Amino acid sequence: MNSVGPDSEQLLSGLEDSAGDAAVLRMRLGSQLRRLREAAGITPEQAGFEIRGSRSKISRLENGRVKLKSRDVTDLLTLYGVTDQGVRSKFLALVEQSNGPDWWGEYGDILPGWFETYLGLEAAASTIRSFELQFVHGLFQTADYARAVTRLGRRAASADEIERWVTLRLKRQELLSRPDPPNVWSVMDEAVLRRPVAGAAVMRAQYRHLIEVAELPHVTLQVIPFARGAHAGESGSFTVLRFEERDLPDVVYLEQLTNAVYLEQRTDVERYLEVVDEMSSQALTPDETTRLIEQIAREI
Amino acid sequence: MTTDEAPALGEGGAGQSKRPPFDTTVANQARIYDYLLGGKDNYEADRVATDAVLAVYPEMAFNAKANRSFLGRAVRFLTGEAGIRQFLDIGTGIPTAGNTHQVAQAVAQQSRVVYVDYDPIVLAHARALLTSQQAGSTQYIDADLRDTDTVLSRAHQLLDFTQPVAITLLAILHAIPDADDPYAIVAKLLDAVPPGSYLALSHIASDLLDAETQQSLTGVSDRMIQQDFTFRARDEVMRLFEGTDLVPPGLVRVEEWRPEPGPDDTAKSSLWVGVGRKR
Repeated sequence: MNSVGPDSEQLLSGLEDSAGDAAVLRMRLGSQLRRLREAAGITPEQAGFEIRGSRSKISRLENGRVKLKSRDVTDLLTLYGVTDQGVRSKFLALVEQSNGPDWWGEYGDILPGWFETYLGLEAAASTIRSFELQFVHGLFQTADYARAVTRLGRRAASADEIERWVTLRLKRQELLSRPDPPNVWSVMDEAVLRRPVAGAAVMRAQYRHLIEVAELPHVTLQVIPFARGAHAGESGSFTVLRFEERDLPDVVYLEQLTNAVYLEQRTDVERYLEVVDEMSSQALTPDETTRLIEQIAREI
Repeated sequence: MTTDEAPALGEGGAGQSKRPPFDTTVANQARIYDYLLGGKDNYEADRVATDAVLAVYPEMAFNAKANRSFLGRAVRFLTGEAGIRQFLDIGTGIPTAGNTHQVAQAVAQQSRVVYVDYDPIVLAHARALLTSQQAGSTQYIDADLRDTDTVLSRAHQLLDFTQPVAITLLAILHAIPDADDPYAIVAKLLDAVPPGSYLALSHIASDLLDAETQQSLTGVSDRMIQQDFTFRARDEVMRLFEGTDLVPPGLVRVEEWRPEPGPDDTAKSSLWVGVGRKR
């Protein structure tokens, strides 16, 4: 019956493997919907119209930014010519799963929505590149260092709330030890290491932790020493998230005090990639970076 | 965990290095190759140049994929049948799936791979992403192939030159014009390694492309790409293997070199490839 749609195996391949993480599954389903739409030769506008929405609703849905509604997906599958009932029901079952609770669900009371988006993207990313001007990247912070940073930003918060933020940060770090971890490649200004965010003992432990994580094959740390002069990181800290799927665009994450900006237009993203590429080639190599951290740890 | 050589910023004073500066506004072969393979580490200028290349020679996309799959077959042969445990991979390129150390270490975990490249973006990516579980088994040299003495003196510190080494030069020698004498460069590399070492290379063929296509490709590369495009004929590529015995099937089109079962591809490449064993 179905002569235009892809075969069911192709349609569902890889999707069932990612069933564990709701946010990851959402992105994969979205990306599969984009492939189906393109294969059927349907524009985002047409697809948006079909589900009583706009072009941007389709784009958010295809990029996995929003939860999928069964009714929308049912209509889209029909529009895209996927008629095989078996495939449709499996796809819809995965949509249900992708609406399950996210691992950070229990922190909903302290987490702003804009940061939940980041947590989903971070969990789904295959490569995380960052430039840090002020603090050690959240994925590499020790509990004590994280506590000091959290207190800085939330002076009015109760001790209990601070602890929950710290626990959340440590839970985030579990992605470094999962079976198929992302590559995390962080370039930091020497200032990150020199700034005594906390006391000497906490800093020393943080340095040791950095040296340890840098040993992981999927972690790369590079420092741009003061001695190398000015660098291209004029914009401040940022993170670029890349996804395995060929048709998912890279996303640049810019955190602000009360909100965050997510850039995914190619021209915007490319400027940041250029900056992070340039800084990675200016910075100390990973080995030299470890030696510098060891030296700073001795000096403090 | 990896180790590597100190960066050679501002080096190459021997007058032989033509190291490209960090520049994303001019297309570059490593990033064009990345784009052709479906990678995401390329910039607007690279994509524009690639589209110009594909407009005059659509099969370039097949060349790139076929070259990448040759890397896999050649490294599996070298690690398996030939028993090689040390690799000098010159012209590393931007990391993608199935890099030399992954292929080699999947066959023999103790394989050591030294990557050599002169492009700052390639090196940064290689150091970050071409890493092994085992300490010290993947290393990097920041040098221009034309600065062959530098390549060799660094490689001497990282590999055991009393044991056979496989030198891979995949899709790189076309960027070395005759004026820079690629024959002497390859001879010097082969001179440094013991008998029983191997040379694997791929090269774009002047005798598998019509004159008009070559001229158009040269035009595109002169206008838009950092590196040169020198096409060479089969007998010229054969000369690069002097002092080695080619393993079967000899010097052939890339798709004919020990093909592995897979979907039939009727596309024809314009790449000569071979693997030679040093006498």
